[in-house]
Order: sequence, then structure tokens, then C-alpha cells
Amino acid sequence: MNIHRIFAVLLRHWYNFTHNLDRIVDAFYWPSVDIVLWGLTISALQKQGQVMVQQVYVLVFSVILWNIVWRAQGEITVNLLEELWSENITNLFASPLKVTEWMVGLSLMSLFKLTLTVLLTSAISLLMYSANITSLGIMLVPMMVTLMLMGWAFGFFVAGLFLRHGTSVQTLAWAGAFILMPFSAVYYPLFTLPLWVQKVALFLPSSYIFEGLRTLMQTGVFPMQSLLYSNVLNAIYLSLAILYFFRSFEKAREKGLGHLK
Amino acid sequence: MAENANKRPVVLSVNELTKSFPGRKSDFLAVDQVSFNVHQGEIVGLLGPNGAGKTTTIQMLLGLMTPTSGGIHYFGLPFELHREEILKKLNHTSGYARMPWRLTVLENLNVYGWMYEVKNHTEKIAELVDAFEIKSFKNKRFQDLSAGQMTRVLLAKAFINTPELVLLDEPTASLDPDISLKIRNYILDEQKKRKMSLVITSHNMHEVEEMCDRVVFLNKGKVYAIDTPDGLAKKNQNCELQLMVRDGLKRLIEVIEGHGFRFSVSKRYIAITLPEQQVGALLSEMGAKGLQYSEIEIVKPSLEDFFVNVSKK
Repeated sequence: MNIHRIFAVLLRHWYNFTHNLDRIVDAFYWPSVDIVLWGLTISALQKQGQVMVQQVYVLVFSVILWNIVWRAQGEITVNLLEELWSENITNLFASPLKVTEWMVGLSLMSLFKLTLTVLLTSAISLLMYSANITSLGIMLVPMMVTLMLMGWAFGFFVAGLFLRHGTSVQTLAWAGAFILMPFSAVYYPLFTLPLWVQKVALFLPSSYIFEGLRTLMQTGVFPMQSLLYSNVLNAIYLSLAILYFFRSFEKAREKGLGHLK
Repeated sequence: MAENANKRPVVLSVNELTKSFPGRKSDFLAVDQVSFNVHQGEIVGLLGPNGAGKTTTIQMLLGLMTPTSGGIHYFGLPFELHREEILKKLNHTSGYARMPWRLTVLENLNVYGWMYEVKNHTEKIAELVDAFEIKSFKNKRFQDLSAGQMTRVLLAKAFINTPELVLLDEPTASLDPDISLKIRNYILDEQKKRKMSLVITSHNMHEVEEMCDRVVFLNKGKVYAIDTPDGLAKKNQNCELQLMVRDGLKRLIEVIEGHGFRFSVSKRYIAITLPEQQVGALLSEMGAKGLQYSEIEIVKPSLEDFFVNVSKK
């Protein structure tokens, strides 16, 4: 693992981030719109007496936390697409850069950018709805890390698909994570969902976190067993996703990275 | 040069390199047991018509494509096992690579300075900006450059780590003749100063003749010939004898037809294609028959003739 080459990957994407309106919109605009729209909707319902203040907070925090999954996945996949769009992938992998260094570089960039997103959305929720996410306490950190790891797992899986099928499936870079959303119990408790959805949710790390969030806000205690289950699942999915990504990279090399578009 | 080069250490050794792609009915053999060496300080041209296997070979040489079989050794080390160590000493440009569109030229070079762990890379970039005449557009985004400007930036990237071996795919394509000449001179200077080796693909036969010590000629995935540019040109034994005939053009045509040589006529000029060693005999025969000419030119076989002849096969 070479620190200079990891820094080069970070620098490449930092330059791109600062010059590219699309990437700025991805990091700041959409998450902000999300928090404003959902926050206003639930606040309106609260003023009509249909929901309680605490439910407003749950929903606003859920939006902030779901954005972690979405952004973590998006950073991995969109940054791979950036290399394919700009036909830079052959320059990268004909240099001494290792695939693992590239993955670490993307993951660090993802961590940095989603930190900015979380800071912004948290500030909006505090200013607009007086919903302070830090009130969740220290458990906020493992919850965020768990969701980020899930985002990375899904991100590397989708990136593996790009290495096999090129940009023809690029829409998954943005739309992919939303397949998981209905099963993650982001905006509603799991028991309110159909039975088959509940069964699928058992296999998603995110559902344990969002259920845990609701428990934490009701009881003041986060169920540690949920955190354990979700991270066992994360460990399995992340390992499989990284393995799939490496295999896809070797598959792409069999055809030739120069032909990847 | 080629003879001297053979005494120098081998920096690249390609042994029976083969690449086949699975097809529906049968596999397609893109590169078939290609073998050649590149010595320190040598410039080797990789030539061949479209579909000859040049790009596939270069992709395998850069580790961008896995060979089906065969071996690649750089500096005596197997490429697959010493990838990182080898690629630090290598660089390339290729027809299928660009750079991040939204980054400026300097930003792109800076990224690759870090990527190749170039010490004092700011100074190195300044040197390359000067050598490849990039100064006027160094702060422009890559997407805003002309094709020629992009080629210069990609070439600058190819020299950023002061490589011991460079693989250049069409290095001066889309460049103006004056810039192309300057860049060719820079490359040749570097090659002489540092005993750098180069593998070049080009469709500019003049450039190959001028730069390359040896040429590996590929056709249909196989090595068709390996020789000096002169040696390859001489494999085509025919030359063109151009004459302006003052008197007796019809009689001369009868003589040429008698020998079975190909010819073309334009006004009083005739161009005859014949084996180089038969030129003297033909001119003597013309003299004996009183056929006079006022202008004569013998066009020797070139690498381009060789290229065209092999491509037709």
C-alpha cells in the first residue's frame, strides 16, 4: 500500500469535485432537497396534529442517515464512471497503482465527502426543525459507520458490474441504492410492512440500524444486538462485494481494460 | 545501431505471447506466439496493418490485458510477479487513453507526478511543460484542448517519471509538423542521454524509418518480420525507374512488355517497376537499341512499399 498513490487518487477526485457541478450537486444539493422536502412534509403533518414532534425528529434523522448509504455507494460507483467517461482507466492501471490502493483512495474520498454531506444536512435539520442529530449521543458513530460500510459494499458490487458491462448499466450508480430503501425501514417501522418485506429486511444491515434508531429515540437505548447483526451482515456483504470487484477487474483485464467503455 | 544494441542488456523480452478471445464458433487468435526483445537504448517500431495485433500486444505489455499464454519479462523480471516495480520504470501513451476531462493540464500532470512518486515533480512538470510547449494552455481543462494539444499532454505524462522504457502508440499523430519534429527530437535526445528504450507504433513510415533501430512487423497476429527499417524495405526487391523518353517510347514499351515488367505512361514519362539489379541491364539494352532518355530517376524500395505489399497479402 503506497501513500503517494492513494493521495494521487484522492487528489484526482478532489480536483474533479471542485470543478464539477454534477458532483457538487450530488454531494450537497440532493441531500439538502431531501431533508427540506421530508422535513417540511412531516412538520406540516405535525402542525395538523397527525404526528408528534418526536416523529418529525425520527424522520429527519432517518433522511440524514439514509443519505450516508446513498452517498457512500454513489462515491464508489460514480468515481469509477468518471474514469470510464474520461477514458483514463488505462492510464491509471498502466501506472504502478494497485487496485487495492485505488479502492482505498475512493473509500477515503467517499468518507470525506459524505462527512461534508452529513454536516450540511445536520445543520439544515437543526436550523429548520430544531432537530439536533448529536442528541442521539455516542451511538450515532457506530450507526453511521455501519451504514457507510453497507454503502461501500453495495458500491463495490455495482462497480464490479460496471467493470463487466461498462457504462451500459451506469444508471445503477444513482438508482442502485434505492432498490434497498423500501426494505430498510427508513421512514416506517418494520412491523407495519408486509411479511415478505419484513423477511427481506432481515438480510439488510440498514433495517437493523433504522429500527434501532426508533428504539433509541423511544427508550434512550440502542439495541446492541441489532448493531451486531447488522455488522455481521456488513462483514459478509463487504467481503463478497470486494471479492466480486476483484474478479470483475480480472474479467475486464481478460478482455482488455482499453476496451472498457 | 541494431548490432550495437544487441550487445546491451535486454529491457523487454516477449516470449511466444498469445491472446485468443472466445468466439461463438471458434476462438479468435488476435496475437499468435509473438516473440521479440528490446535492448537498452534501442527504439523498436511495432508495425502492421489494422487488425495485425499491435494494440492487443501493447495492452498486454502494459498489463491492461491478460495474455492467454506466453511470457513478458522487463529488466529480467517476470511482469506478472513484479508489476509495481516494473511499472515505476515504464510509461506510455496510447490511442485509447485520454485524461480526466475536467482537470486542467497542470492538475492532471500533478496527479500523475504523485502516482509515479516523482521527486520534485513540480520541477519535472515545469521541464515537460517547456519541452512539449504546453505553457500556453497549461491552465486549460483537458476537455478544452485540441487533439494535438491532448497528444502533447499525454506525451508529457509519458515522460513524467523519467522512464527507462516508453511505449508510445502513434506518438506524433495529430501534431503539426514543426511540433512533431521538436517532440521527435526531445524523445531522441532523452533516448541518447539516458539510454532510454522505446517501443513505438506509428502509421508514419517516414517517422519509423527515422527513429527506429529495428522494426517488428506484425501481420494477422504473427510476427511477419523483424529487421532494421532498411532491411525490411530491401525485402521488397523492386524499384521504380522513371524516365523521360525523347524518342522511341513505343519501342521501349515493346521491350518492357517483352520482359514482363509493370509500367505506367504519362505523356513522355514512363515509370517502370522492376527488380533493382535489372536496372543496369535494361538501360544497356535501351542504349543498344538506340532508345534515348533525357531524365532518369531511380526510386528505391521504402518501408512504406514493404508495408503496402504485406498489407495486401
